[in-house]
Amino acid sequence: MSYSNQQLKQLVQPTRFHRKLYTDPEIFDLEMERIWGRSWIYIGHESQVPEAGSYITLNYGKMPVVMVRDKKNEVHVLHNRCGHKGTKLVDKRCGKIGGFRCCYHGWTYRLDGKLLGVPHLAGYEGTGFDKEDPQYSMQKLAKYESYRGFVFATMNPDAPDLKTWMGGAAAVMDNLCDRAPEGEVEAAGGILRYVHECNWKPFLENLNDTMHPMVVHRSVVDAAEDYMRTLPEDSPRRDEAEILPPFGQSYEYMEDMGITGFKYGHHYDGGQHSIHKDYSLDPDYEAAMIKAYGKERMHEILSFNTHNTLYYPSLTIKSAVQNIRVVRPVAYNKTVIETHSFRLKGAPDSMLQRTLLYSRLINANGSMVGPDDLVAYERIQEGLKSNGSDWIEMHRNFGRDEVLEDRTVGKGTSDLDVRTQYAAWTEYMTGT
Amino acid sequence: MTSVIASTESLREIERLLYKEASFLDRPDLDRWIELYTDDGTYWMPAIEDQEDPLNHISLFYDDRVIMEVRRRNFVHPRAASKDYKVRSSHIISNIQVQEMDEKTGNCTVTSNFHCFMYYRDKQTPFAGTYTHELVRDGDSYKIRHKRVDLINCDAELASIIIYV
Repeated sequence: MSYSNQQLKQLVQPTRFHRKLYTDPEIFDLEMERIWGRSWIYIGHESQVPEAGSYITLNYGKMPVVMVRDKKNEVHVLHNRCGHKGTKLVDKRCGKIGGFRCCYHGWTYRLDGKLLGVPHLAGYEGTGFDKEDPQYSMQKLAKYESYRGFVFATMNPDAPDLKTWMGGAAAVMDNLCDRAPEGEVEAAGGILRYVHECNWKPFLENLNDTMHPMVVHRSVVDAAEDYMRTLPEDSPRRDEAEILPPFGQSYEYMEDMGITGFKYGHHYDGGQHSIHKDYSLDPDYEAAMIKAYGKERMHEILSFNTHNTLYYPSLTIKSAVQNIRVVRPVAYNKTVIETHSFRLKGAPDSMLQRTLLYSRLINANGSMVGPDDLVAYERIQEGLKSNGSDWIEMHRNFGRDEVLEDRTVGKGTSDLDVRTQYAAWTEYMTGT
Repeated sequence: MTSVIASTESLREIERLLYKEASFLDRPDLDRWIELYTDDGTYWMPAIEDQEDPLNHISLFYDDRVIMEVRRRNFVHPRAASKDYKVRSSHIISNIQVQEMDEKTGNCTVTSNFHCFMYYRDKQTPFAGTYTHELVRDGDSYKIRHKRVDLINCDAELASIIIYV
């Protein structure tokens, strides 16, 4: 690798960063090694592996891993590689097995990854190979932990524990789960996988970029409002009419939402209010919430309204909507964004249906919002091939953010979310 | 499901409707396309094989008239970044089979195979799969009450799907 720490530090300055962060494959490889290798990465939700032997597969950075539940009910995150020749052991996105068995020479492993059987073992006698040597088992990731059912893993044995790493941003994960009358969510309604022909970072920078919706999403807001004007006054209420128009909110509205940034690159916008704040309260859901929490606590839970909350670099959640998006980088110019939806346990089906409607309207490959964002990211990827300037700027409200003990807060249109991310980028990349 | 035998005349009529719909999508002309649907018509593109339910599982598209009306306005909006490019498609429909036919009303369920090449942002993308059309009699012709589009790669990692297939 040719980049020294000094050179890496020069690529990110207080109010700008270098275009190589998007365009250089070598930077991408370093990011996978140092950011993906050092931070906590979202793996999946425990409810995706409900029984012993249930597993899901995914790429952690570039590496194939598997999350699996063992017979003691413990969830493990293992390298998805046979200890023999390196064959990927399970190749489906999800499934259920009694144990791992390699498709090539039939080596078998327990659900926690321990090597069990090697056919015709006699051939190894006296060769120095020891079946009990842990190096031939499936390797566990350095650490994995679950927070309220959301499983993260890290390759970094020195990483802080998950809760410490989440810091104040954990409040939003709590809020997502507290919105369930039973205080728990479960993955439901499947996963969308959306190919983005661009670097992984513009997606993250867009999450709490509140200066773009009124430009990029003007068209769908106009289309929705234009159509709604043709409807009679007494038309039945439609969730679409609550979901789409707020994307056209004014700069002042966005400003008031506020942005909060944390250590390790996490941030959210909103808090008191967000573009999700005015959704109607389903009466059956309200009744279930009151029963579970009482009115006062219910109002407290539902009035904490964030828009997007990023757990840098791999997970962004919408607590008020109950969907999440997961970032899976593939190459410096290719990323897959997954959208997962969640059921609030104890809530009526209508709540999951609204979550899925939101995912379809806003995040799906066929939606009228995500594709407009994506064109902007892809055009950034193309535009940055120009050497007309080497820099991408992030000055907005610089010097006006308020630094508190565990967080930085600023106006909703501040670039503090971007600056927060790039501070973390520098820390991970240079190890300082 | 075994297909039923429909008269040559009704088969021709069904074919004509499917071809007309395809030609509106080839252009694409959503103003005329939407008129082929009943007021309670829906367009569904599932995200998994044999998906049973459009409401409790995510789909790539599940549009009723309201969303169709928003989409057709969005499609021609001068400031929609993703619509700032020509979209041209070529649909081929074949293997048309009438799966069910109500002899009294003429309402029927028709499956067909399709290949669609779509050109958008300097890229040509092939789509293939099965259509299921639920058609209802509307005077002398048919209207579409429901169209289901099962892509053979519905659960793959996909790029933007910018318009109905």
